[in-house]
Amino acid sequence: MIEVENLGKTYVKEPVVRDLSFFVPEGQVLGFLGPNGAGKTTVMRMLTAFLPPTTGRVVVAGVDLDEDPVALRRNVGYLPENVPLYPEMRVDEYLRFRADIEEVPRAEVRDRMDDVAERCMIGDVRRQVIGTLSKGFRQRVGLAGALIHQPPVLILDEPTVGLDPNQIIRVRELITELGRDHTVLLSTHILPEVEQVCERVFIIDRGRIVADGAPDALRTQLIGNPALVVELKGADGVATEALLGLPGVVAVSEREPGHFVVEHAPDADPREAVFGLAVERGWVLMALIPHRASLEDVFVRLTTREETLAEELAEEVSHA
Amino acid sequence: MRKTWAIVRRELIAYFSSPLAYVVLAAFLLMQGYIFYLLVSFLNNPQTQAMTPLRLFFGGTIFFWLFLLFVVPVITMRLIAEERRSGTIEVLLTSPVTEAQVVVGKFAAAMLFYIALWLPTVLYVLVLMRHSEIDLGPVLAGYVGVLLLGFLFLAVGTFASTLTDNQLIAAIIAFAVMVALFSIGLVEQLIMSSGLKAVLGHMNLWTQMDDFAKGIVDTRHVVYQLSVGILFLFLAAKSLEVKKWR
Repeated sequence: MIEVENLGKTYVKEPVVRDLSFFVPEGQVLGFLGPNGAGKTTVMRMLTAFLPPTTGRVVVAGVDLDEDPVALRRNVGYLPENVPLYPEMRVDEYLRFRADIEEVPRAEVRDRMDDVAERCMIGDVRRQVIGTLSKGFRQRVGLAGALIHQPPVLILDEPTVGLDPNQIIRVRELITELGRDHTVLLSTHILPEVEQVCERVFIIDRGRIVADGAPDALRTQLIGNPALVVELKGADGVATEALLGLPGVVAVSEREPGHFVVEHAPDADPREAVFGLAVERGWVLMALIPHRASLEDVFVRLTTREETLAEELAEEVSHA
Repeated sequence: MRKTWAIVRRELIAYFSSPLAYVVLAAFLLMQGYIFYLLVSFLNNPQTQAMTPLRLFFGGTIFFWLFLLFVVPVITMRLIAEERRSGTIEVLLTSPVTEAQVVVGKFAAAMLFYIALWLPTVLYVLVLMRHSEIDLGPVLAGYVGVLLLGFLFLAVGTFASTLTDNQLIAAIIAFAVMVALFSIGLVEQLIMSSGLKAVLGHMNLWTQMDDFAKGIVDTRHVVYQLSVGILFLFLAAKSLEVKKWR
């Protein structure tokens, strides 16, 4: 649905997006994850034919950006960052305006307006002036505007920023629902959002993709082995060695006296063995907690400003 | 056409939902009414030479120009600068709308507002008609002149509004360019070289407007004002295309 080849954007000699290539199949919900300034918005603006790329090729829903940017825009519903709206218009006036400029056939305008208002749950505020709406409603009005022409591809730039937790949940539900009949590309720097909503994640740092995969796969692929946090009372100097001797355990480190992180093979579960060892040696087991690396860890590891790591990973991804 | 019209309609909603529009309308009418009153009482004095009040009304005094030079930037400053400031330009230019359609729609809305501004002055003509003979030819020509000047100046203002995301700066740029276009005619008298003088003479907006007010619709004036206006609209569309800013 979205095909990107060697996409690059340079502002005043400063590369913002470097040599990006990826493919998003129809119906996928894809998350763009990255710190501020990573180039997420720039990529999205190029995919929506707002910014011309410096290099590379973009094809959305079969339309090449170079050949027909206006046709490409017809296939994309775009919700820019911070949801720009016209505050002086009424919701219905705005939806009608969007329907007109997005070329919704005249006969269908009414139906489309009703449909998106219902989907985005803004039915009660349709007569209201946009400037008087709460942030959550404005977000949904923006989304309704992006959906009005039934585009096959939706591009949402930080759709949940500035919302309260309830509103965030509702917008996420809406996005999940939209994902059933749209190809969705959304950007965010909120990690749980990606884990909940997206089937696939790109982690972007300084204009390149440093990781690409399902949230789960990324976790294991990039963080390495799962681990247990073990807290023992009365353990002496040999505890590290003893733990290391257990089947399936790959590495043990003592963070502070009595606190151990026990890494084990993904298919092994040494919890019973740890318990048995403690009983056998007469140690008191204070804690035994499976430690699952969150996407947060992946994110921090990938995007902390260490050029080498990021570059290495970018290389890995491009080889894969 | 439908998309351009949608932009025009949206812009009109924006005009009439802001207090600025009403302030401009009220101030414009107040000043025009006062000037009209002054002109009529001045011309009622038997010692003044014979002139028609409407000829003075249409460009015959500096007041006419002061209004135009101040009011037009106020009408146009918001057009695109505000879209850029608020980010709605991104919505506009990621829908299947071309830059030219945006510029034409915005400009047409400004033109309609400008016409709405002048519409009540038709009353003055009606008032005069009740009290004296009026030659309608020059009056119509005067309105043609007002529309053409409006076309030219509003196009300048639309262009200025594409250059920045700050309305005030857009207004100042529009004002500066309009003053430059206007003062070409005033510079003319200072030039010695006869060739240049002739060229500048043709670009003198004051005398062009005076011709219209006299009832002369000179096609050279019409062509000059329309073509310069279209040039600025073209520049506005190009500027919007080039300004693929961050």
